Amino acid sequence: GLILLFYLVFYGFLAALFTFTMWVMLQTLSSDIPKYRDRISSPGLMISPKPDTALEFYFNRSDSQSYSEYVTTLQNFLESYNDSKQSQNIDCTRGKIFDQSDAAVKKACRFNITELGQCSGKEDKNFGYSKGTPCVLVKMNRVIGLKPEGEPHIQCTPKEEGMVNINYFPPNGAMDLMYFPYYGKSLHAHYLQPLVAVQLAITPNGTKEEIAIECKILGSPNLKNQDDRDKFLGRIAFKVLMSE
Amino acid sequence: GLSSARAAEILARDGPNALTPPKATPEIVKFLRQMIGGFSILLWIGAGFSWISFGIQLSQGTDSAFDNLYLGVVLALVVILTGIFAYYQEAKSTNIMASFSKMIPQQALVLRDAEKKELPADQLVVGDIVEIKGGDRIPADIRLIFTQGCKVDNSSLTGESEPQSRSCDFTHENPLETRNIAFYSTTCVEGTATGIVINTGDRTIIGRIASLASGVGNEKTPIAIEIEHFVWLVAGVAISIGVLFFIISVSMRYKILDSIIFLIGIIVANVPEGLLATVTVSLSLTAKRMAKKNCLVKNLEAVETLGSTSIICSDKTGTLTQNRMTVAHLWFDNQIYSADTSEDQTTQPFDQSSPSWTALSKIVTLCNRAEFRPGQENLPIMKRVVVGDASETALLKFSEVILGDVMSIRAQNKKVAEIPFNSTNKFQLSIHETDDPHDKRFLLVMKGAPERILERCSTIMINGKEEPLDNEKAEAFQTAYMELGGMGERVLGFCHLYLPENEFPESFQFDTDSMNFPTSNLCFVGLLSMIDPPRSTVPDAVSKCRSAGIKVIMVTGDHPITAKAIAKSVGIISATSETVEDIAKRLNIPVEQVNRREATAAVVNGMELKDMSSEQLDAILREHAEIVFARTSPQQKLIIVEGCQRQGAVVAVTGDGVNDSPALKKADIGIAMGIAGSDAAKNAADMVLLDDNFASIVTGVEEGRLIFDNLKKTIAYTLTKNIAELCPFLIYIIASIPMPIGTITILFIDLGTDIIPSVALAYEKAESDIMNRRPRNKRKDRLVNHQLAVYSYLQIGIMQSVGAFVTYFTVYAEQGFLPSTLLGVRVNWENTNINDFEDSYGQQWTYYQRMYLQWTGYTAFFVSITIQQVADLIIRKTRRNSIFQQGLFRNKVIWVGIFSQIGIASILTYGLGHVTALNFTPLRFQYWFVAVPFAILIWVYDEIRKLLIRRYPGSWWDKNMYY
Repeated sequence: GLILLFYLVFYGFLAALFTFTMWVMLQTLSSDIPKYRDRISSPGLMISPKPDTALEFYFNRSDSQSYSEYVTTLQNFLESYNDSKQSQNIDCTRGKIFDQSDAAVKKACRFNITELGQCSGKEDKNFGYSKGTPCVLVKMNRVIGLKPEGEPHIQCTPKEEGMVNINYFPPNGAMDLMYFPYYGKSLHAHYLQPLVAVQLAITPNGTKEEIAIECKILGSPNLKNQDDRDKFLGRIAFKVLMSE
Repeated sequence: GLSSARAAEILARDGPNALTPPKATPEIVKFLRQMIGGFSILLWIGAGFSWISFGIQLSQGTDSAFDNLYLGVVLALVVILTGIFAYYQEAKSTNIMASFSKMIPQQALVLRDAEKKELPADQLVVGDIVEIKGGDRIPADIRLIFTQGCKVDNSSLTGESEPQSRSCDFTHENPLETRNIAFYSTTCVEGTATGIVINTGDRTIIGRIASLASGVGNEKTPIAIEIEHFVWLVAGVAISIGVLFFIISVSMRYKILDSIIFLIGIIVANVPEGLLATVTVSLSLTAKRMAKKNCLVKNLEAVETLGSTSIICSDKTGTLTQNRMTVAHLWFDNQIYSADTSEDQTTQPFDQSSPSWTALSKIVTLCNRAEFRPGQENLPIMKRVVVGDASETALLKFSEVILGDVMSIRAQNKKVAEIPFNSTNKFQLSIHETDDPHDKRFLLVMKGAPERILERCSTIMINGKEEPLDNEKAEAFQTAYMELGGMGERVLGFCHLYLPENEFPESFQFDTDSMNFPTSNLCFVGLLSMIDPPRSTVPDAVSKCRSAGIKVIMVTGDHPITAKAIAKSVGIISATSETVEDIAKRLNIPVEQVNRREATAAVVNGMELKDMSSEQLDAILREHAEIVFARTSPQQKLIIVEGCQRQGAVVAVTGDGVNDSPALKKADIGIAMGIAGSDAAKNAADMVLLDDNFASIVTGVEEGRLIFDNLKKTIAYTLTKNIAELCPFLIYIIASIPMPIGTITILFIDLGTDIIPSVALAYEKAESDIMNRRPRNKRKDRLVNHQLAVYSYLQIGIMQSVGAFVTYFTVYAEQGFLPSTLLGVRVNWENTNINDFEDSYGQQWTYYQRMYLQWTGYTAFFVSITIQQVADLIIRKTRRNSIFQQGLFRNKVIWVGIFSQIGIASILTYGLGHVTALNFTPLRFQYWFVAVPFAILIWVYDEIRKLLIRRYPGSWWDKNMYY
């Protein structure tokens, strides 16, 4: 009896102490930006749609069922880029870092979905999957306060030549500096990260072949794209296998 | 003699003349035992599981499969390395002993091919004729065919310390009794002899006894039992938590493979990998310390056995006593004087002014054949080597101490005739010229058995004047004689006579055969009594044993009266206690009517012991607190030891003779004498007493008790952090947070930061006088009791876990993952395909970035445990006293431990922080301090615990919190 009571009090005290110290610790944190960002000094790259298994796209251009999941994913993903959702966003000066550190309310820059051209989903609801020109959106991970230098752009290279021709939207795969820096979820609620659409025009040679493609962020000295251990730091590799 | 060819034939048939050494366990078996003993099995299971999951993952093509392969290899390495370490430690302590048995090969003088040859004794065969002389060890059992004044010392065989004469006569059916056989390994004290070898090697009497000893089973030492108990306890906890969480994780729909990996983690977290090595090191440190105090421990575990000893059966001669006859009392002028019997006497304090003393001292000096070996002038008198028997030696040293140069006194009083002592007339006589040039008389001096001497006297010297020996004076003599004899002392009477000048002129020719001089109507001068006095350190040691609750039983071959006297003088029988016989004498009633329970002491004669049933012996051992066994044979020692063990006691036994070896083996701890002990005894013993001194046993007991306490502290220290290592796994499984600590990291704590501190606890001084406690009860006072486990696991361990988790959550929160975000993220967190994992602030993380953060978490968790282990180390210094009573800085090694702990942690964090395989990352400086408040809390809480224990002994708190 007494033992139980003792442990009740003892653990009660410890639990209270734990809660209290955690509370104190949380009080020292800002709700806007994390205290340290040194573990993500350089952002990773990611694509959408993202196949369930590894980063491998398998589909039959003539079977809409085989790629419908990719299409839906893309549609859902681009939902937040619709004009209607961007009513509060402003048009920013292109090619310049949009520094708003002094502003109490951080504005988000408009990302015009038409910039994605044939991959915007406006012209082709199937994002080219039915035509053998599937689109993949490449995005860069959000990192608070990151200000890319130079002219960052995405460049994708297939492992073997002649199987695929790659088109970029916006042209050159550019990521405009005006979308940076990011101020965090709470301050920068409407922020939209810039997207680069990669259109893979698969040649007849490339059909029924597995095509390995690697995309990298280039043109910016402070965005790393070659880390031995982190295969997604400033780069991403995926495979496409299209059948007919 | 034999021809060489024939001898070689027999040698081929019988084998060499040497005792077969006790069968040693093959080294490889010892080694394998280390590999699978203790926790090793659990770790092997862990390694096995790792390899199985590696195999499965490899076939599934998982990227991280090799992690499990490495983990398995690391676990196997841990087992093998700790195994090798333990094996090495054990081998090292055994080697100390091996050097003992390696003695200079003995040589024997043999008649072979009709020539005398020096041969190694192990080449002897039955039928060889050997010659021996004084000082030799008998090389085999031999039947004597020629002797000349040969005496042998059979003490190693029979326990009798008096040399026995040997001749060619067959005197008894029993080979042990007959005079014409000398035994292997006994020594020839004086004279020469020639004999035929009748038995060699294991067939000798000694060989048979030695093989008897090896038949007595070796029982597990108390500490081995304790460690086994502890291993079972921890293994039980590990397995039950492991299995419980295996079931939980399976029912939480984790994959079986994942559940197995969790199981490995739980096992590794629960098993204190470094602990058994630490225990070995602590024991060998104590063994080293004991060796400095003259206790050489053969078997490491015996270190602690000595501490739990509750009965010591000690020899008398040499162990309790100085093994040297010394003059203890004098009687002259109707008065008894006591002499100083300590080891390093340089003067004698008794009143030496009486002229009777002058006369007595002259007799003592002159009527003595003993002489110092030359060339020892610089040695203290008591240490000099003397040629002569024990009593004469005692008298020589006694007079040398008081009068100075005895040899020159003898030279001034030239000896003209002498009759040496023999057993028929029981006296020794010599006639001297006097040193006074004006006194031309001869002085006749005589010493011998007091009653015989008195018979020859008609006068007695009182204050330098001769007075007639009337009845009254004879009665005074009788009283003194009885009193001295009653003290167990050997009494000698001394008398003299100045021969009248007219009858014995200067030119008189004394003839000792016809005795042409008076040997009666002499003048009685005084009595001297001698005893082998107790070593001066022994009474103190015995009283220490008494306050330490250890019963000291004297077992001796000596006469009961002597035994009792020595027992009284060293305190084995205390001044106030009485034997049944004493009570009978005091109340003047027959022995049978005495209430046995009133007698606290008992002196048991070997003859009585022979007829006793084991129940009767048990009753004696139970009912009497103070027991002396006198006139016992070494064989009876075994019976006594077994009797003590039946009482549930942990028995320590001392012994030196070959015949003691069964008792030494049977005892929980056999203690052989390093100086007087035979090889067989040393082989059978667990410990060797280098100075043969009983007091050394007591210091050994103290060390043994201390190490038991300190091992408790070490184990408590080590077990505590196991909870802090285990909780992360449990919470990881239940709350699905990112893994707080890695399996490899745990190994770095167990085998890295924690090792030196836990050894440092072995240097801790005792908290209170450990020699004022009763010996621990084998059944009740466990090394690891449930209070220790509960306090370490459920209280301090949990506090440590809380502190470590606070650090863990702080690291994650400050990097962007608030605690609320972490709950339940495990599956996505560990998914290598998710490389845009969002944190609480909207940032996105690649898999590797998350893993790097996870390792930072490991490092932070590791550092917090280390910091709190510093507090744990400090609180474990004492179990009852405040740290401030014990002294924070008294044990310097603790500080070495603390600095090593922090040093190793820093090296791992900052030095190896870039080696990804080890899963350490450099850590921000401030994270080292997150757990500091918890470390302080641990210290404060433990001080409160100790304070309450001290304030309220026997209370609920004391019962539950004192380990």
